[in-house]
Amino acid sequence: MSAVHVAGVSKIFNQGTPKQVDALVDVNLTVEPGEFVSLIGPSGCGKSTLLRLIANLLEPTTGEVTVNSKTAAQSRLDQDYGMAFQQAGLFDWRSVAKNIELPLELKGWDKEKRAARAQEMLELVKLPEFADLMPWQLSGGMQQRIAIARALAAHPPLLLMDEPFGALDEMTREYMQGELLRICAETKTTVVFVTHSIPEAVYLSNRVVVMSPRPGRITDVINVNLGETRSEDTRAAENFFSGITSVREALRGTHADHANAGAIRGVEDR
Amino acid sequence: MNQQLRRVAYRTGMFFVSIALVAVLWELYKVVGPEKGGKLFGVAILPRANDTAMPHLWEMLSRYAQPEMRSPNSNPIWFVVFKGAFYSFRLALVGFFLGSTIGVALAALMTRFKTMERGLLPYLVISQTVPLIALAPLVVSWGGKLHIFGFTWPRWLSASVLGAFLAFFPIAVGTLRGLKSAPAASLELMDSYAASWKQTLVKLRFPAAIPYMVPAFKLGASGSVIGVVVAEISTGLKGGIGRLIIEYARQATGDPAKVFTAVFGAAGLGLAMAGLVALADVLLMRNRPKETTT
Repeated sequence: MSAVHVAGVSKIFNQGTPKQVDALVDVNLTVEPGEFVSLIGPSGCGKSTLLRLIANLLEPTTGEVTVNSKTAAQSRLDQDYGMAFQQAGLFDWRSVAKNIELPLELKGWDKEKRAARAQEMLELVKLPEFADLMPWQLSGGMQQRIAIARALAAHPPLLLMDEPFGALDEMTREYMQGELLRICAETKTTVVFVTHSIPEAVYLSNRVVVMSPRPGRITDVINVNLGETRSEDTRAAENFFSGITSVREALRGTHADHANAGAIRGVEDR
Repeated sequence: MNQQLRRVAYRTGMFFVSIALVAVLWELYKVVGPEKGGKLFGVAILPRANDTAMPHLWEMLSRYAQPEMRSPNSNPIWFVVFKGAFYSFRLALVGFFLGSTIGVALAALMTRFKTMERGLLPYLVISQTVPLIALAPLVVSWGGKLHIFGFTWPRWLSASVLGAFLAFFPIAVGTLRGLKSAPAASLELMDSYAASWKQTLVKLRFPAAIPYMVPAFKLGASGSVIGVVVAEISTGLKGGIGRLIIEYARQATGDPAKVFTAVFGAAGLGLAMAGLVALADVLLMRNRPKETTT
């Protein structure tokens, strides 16, 4: 049973109008349980659209999306996935603990169970003493950790992330990557991760899905083998760099103009 | 906290300073202004500075302690004005709650249905261009004809309805803006939780709307006061501050300070309503991020 199965999916916005955009064309992707898969590509390649199709926030124009062997719509209703965005998007008027409890509240959990789970999640993201603070009292990295705690509060088997570390500084970003790997290993969560950053994709993923724009499509899938446990040493390892090189080459291949390789807009090389 | 206290103290201080400034200007004009009014560049715009048109401030203040009328068992005027203001305050409160309920309900409806917004909003704007004075007698006569399930329309309710008529518009527009201010990412988050529209409204849209709703409710509160006072005047409703203002204005030649006591009463009434909303503001916003600017 695959965690995510995308078969022959295309998504066309404003179909039949002059503003028609072929966001995705004939996309096929399977993600196995426990796998960490990154979607990378220049702006407009449809990676966020693909993530939203999996999340059932958008309906595909053609094709089929299955999550945990259910239709995407059904798994959204069952809250089979948690989601995190570039902006932590915590609610200003709720304390940290109450923010984490939000999905549980919507599911109708009772108060004690919610509070216990919120505390468990706070310990998971290593911010146990922050329960009663308000979000605006936290740093950006802390807010993002709370957002991850919120996404995982209902213990969903799947985590969908849309550039969650894009707004963080480089130091925090690397720290958060390590934390994310640890959390996913502890909770055995499957992750689909959208990013602009090649090193981030390589460091985190089992597989990197390379996408290309106009029309948005998958052009390559790179297997990365950095082993089960990754540490700061991994960032200096030989196969980390070879992974980066293969992803970079795959991304260049998406452009007809090879001489002008610097024009891979929207992809960070750092 | 200390800084907040200082800000409150500063604001209160400025309030009294500005009132004192107006008082000083008033008395200064009485000294230098022309007794019989005057022309400026051939246009008669300078008000008369005599004691009938502009009584001294101390006359207005001391008038509060004197009896309302010359009869021996007449109440002191502060009591009459306070009673009138309190009567109008209750009417304004009813109008304000009526207006807020309608305004918030309309805003929620317009957020829910795009067609509602497109169809309704122009009418709301037009409704506010109808002069209140023209509307007041109509509401009274419509209300008088209403008899539903043994409910008879009390006369004072017309004044409250007119207060609500002025209050609901800023509240509806402000709340609508607020409900729509919820960030797209947060709406998407609620969608990803498969939250119902009602859940999204209660847990996201309304909390996000509060910073927009508070100033709208302040406008609505003062609107309800104006509505009630104007309605009292134009429908001749007894008991309220509006009625006192016209009654005392008629006696202005013999007792010029009297009308000002009622005018100040109306101003105090407006302040009381605004204070009520400010109190709600403090309670609702106590956990929100504080503005860093002073």
